[in-house]
Amino acid sequence: MDRGVAISGMGIVSAIGMNAKENFEALKKGQHGISEVELVDTILKENILVGEIKKSNQELEQILKLPTPNSFSRSSMLGMIAIKEAFRDAEIQVKDNTSMAFVNSTTVGGMDMVEKFYDSFLTDKKNQHYISVNDAGSNTHLMADYFNIKGFVTTISTACSSAANAIMLGARLIKSGRAEKVVVGGMDGLCKFTLNGFNTLMLQSNGFNKPFDDERVGLNLGEGAAYLILESQSSLQKRDKTPLAYLTGYANANDAYHQTASSEQGEGAFLAMKKAFEVAGIQPEQVDYINAHGTATPNNDLSEGRALLNFFENKIPDFSSTKPFTGHTLAAAASIEAVFSILALRENIIYPNLNFKTKMKEFDLTPQIEIKKKEVNTVLSNSFGFGGNCSSLIFEK
Amino acid sequence: MEEVIQPFYLEKENRMKNNIIHYCNIKDGSVSVNGKSLYVNTVEKDFLSFIKTVYKQFDLAYPKFYKMDPLCKLSIVAASILLENTGSEIDPNMALVLSNKSSCIDIDRKHQETISQEADSYASPANFVYTLPNIALGEISIKYKLQSENSFFIFEYFNPKFLIDYTNSLIDLGKSNRVLSGWVEVNENNYNAFLFIVEKSDGIELTQKNLIKLK
Repeated sequence: MDRGVAISGMGIVSAIGMNAKENFEALKKGQHGISEVELVDTILKENILVGEIKKSNQELEQILKLPTPNSFSRSSMLGMIAIKEAFRDAEIQVKDNTSMAFVNSTTVGGMDMVEKFYDSFLTDKKNQHYISVNDAGSNTHLMADYFNIKGFVTTISTACSSAANAIMLGARLIKSGRAEKVVVGGMDGLCKFTLNGFNTLMLQSNGFNKPFDDERVGLNLGEGAAYLILESQSSLQKRDKTPLAYLTGYANANDAYHQTASSEQGEGAFLAMKKAFEVAGIQPEQVDYINAHGTATPNNDLSEGRALLNFFENKIPDFSSTKPFTGHTLAAAASIEAVFSILALRENIIYPNLNFKTKMKEFDLTPQIEIKKKEVNTVLSNSFGFGGNCSSLIFEK
Repeated sequence: MEEVIQPFYLEKENRMKNNIIHYCNIKDGSVSVNGKSLYVNTVEKDFLSFIKTVYKQFDLAYPKFYKMDPLCKLSIVAASILLENTGSEIDPNMALVLSNKSSCIDIDRKHQETISQEADSYASPANFVYTLPNIALGEISIKYKLQSENSFFIFEYFNPKFLIDYTNSLIDLGKSNRVLSGWVEVNENNYNAFLFIVEKSDGIELTQKNLIKLK
């Protein structure tokens, strides 16, 4: 039987923990990671709250035992910590990686370093090496070298759906027999460019983000990274490894509405879900939990809410957004939420949508607000990017 | 009589080929569809002035045109003329596979100028949102409500082989029945748009030779 693509390992760092166990404990206890900005030198300190990982770049270098100087951006270092955990989890040694593929995603790349040293690049030679890692792809290749990954390596940057699209491409590499093992996921560190950009778009909340609440005013940006190891059945059999879960459905659709906003009726979201269920070959009513995109921006939650109501014909399974815990981690969001989805399957638990009080007036939609133990066999995870780049993933036991 | 089941490769041979059913060119001050010249203006050497006369001539009535960067202007005008002057119905699942050489270099330059000014420099959102070539795909998709597959590729030269392979693969794998493909290049006053529609019906054979000839 075609069970989709096996997931043999996962790793995560976010504002609620430096590994999967810490993240899961925080989710179970309802402990969020949203705070004031401490590590980014920004003029917006008083105006915003973020999901910041309270470890300086020096501390991240120490965790990874990196030599200095090096050209790793904050995003890359977060990514490498998560990939190390994923390899440990999948019981893969660094020397095994020569045929492995790597599909990475990021929106920040090395911008955090470049914005720090931009004014001194012409006069101070010692930081000029960071110029070459401004580009997203160069970060991926540095990371591939670090992990001795010699197979197909590429980078996807489609805003907030990036990691979902990376996971999807990885799955297709496995399904078409082009790879036996693929590291897939996303990474994004906080930086001034992102904070200022979202500030200009007026999408950030000065309080805690409240997905699907009538009084939601915007998102909290977050940082983090998460990766899955996707592996073919033959490779798993060869090394007698039991997978954590399966990715059975995936799809990406185009909203065709606006350069940045999502359509009010959520057509792209609807299409992405529809196609993902076709790929998985299951019915919508089989879903036990939806990890929603739920950014808490007025536009996303209205659009996603409508799409959910239309797609599930008003019988929506338990759903929540976990962004009140981690903040919106952009290119890492879909892989962080993929890890949460797999943990939901393995631990038979679904997470609360923190900070929800009032239903939106446009429709009758209440997310799961308490932690809930239940049998979870199928999880749908949504990620919708700027410009209506909509992706849905389906995970099964 | 026993039913004869043809082997897969034979079935493939017998299938109707993917052909070019319509095409459009905008170059050297002229606009043509399926090889027939519909408009000529060799007076306006400036690209932006020229494309505005084309927009007006063809009565495209899509005011968002005025906000667009040069690449999107060329792309939306070429796509609109092709789709609206060939009597072909809009297939909402039509895929878009475009390519060029200079990406969206004109708006990139403009964006660079605005952020390089010493005093009060800030990025203009109106420019910034156009600093990706695939926005041209988005603009066509938005205008014609295409929620379909799309990709934009950058090549040093017109690459008919790549476009043919990609287009055939989209149709043969059942992702789309129809593909709008081609080349949309603009760099200051040098421009060239060649768009063509491919599907399984009568038309010009989709070969490298034909694409080079039609461009």
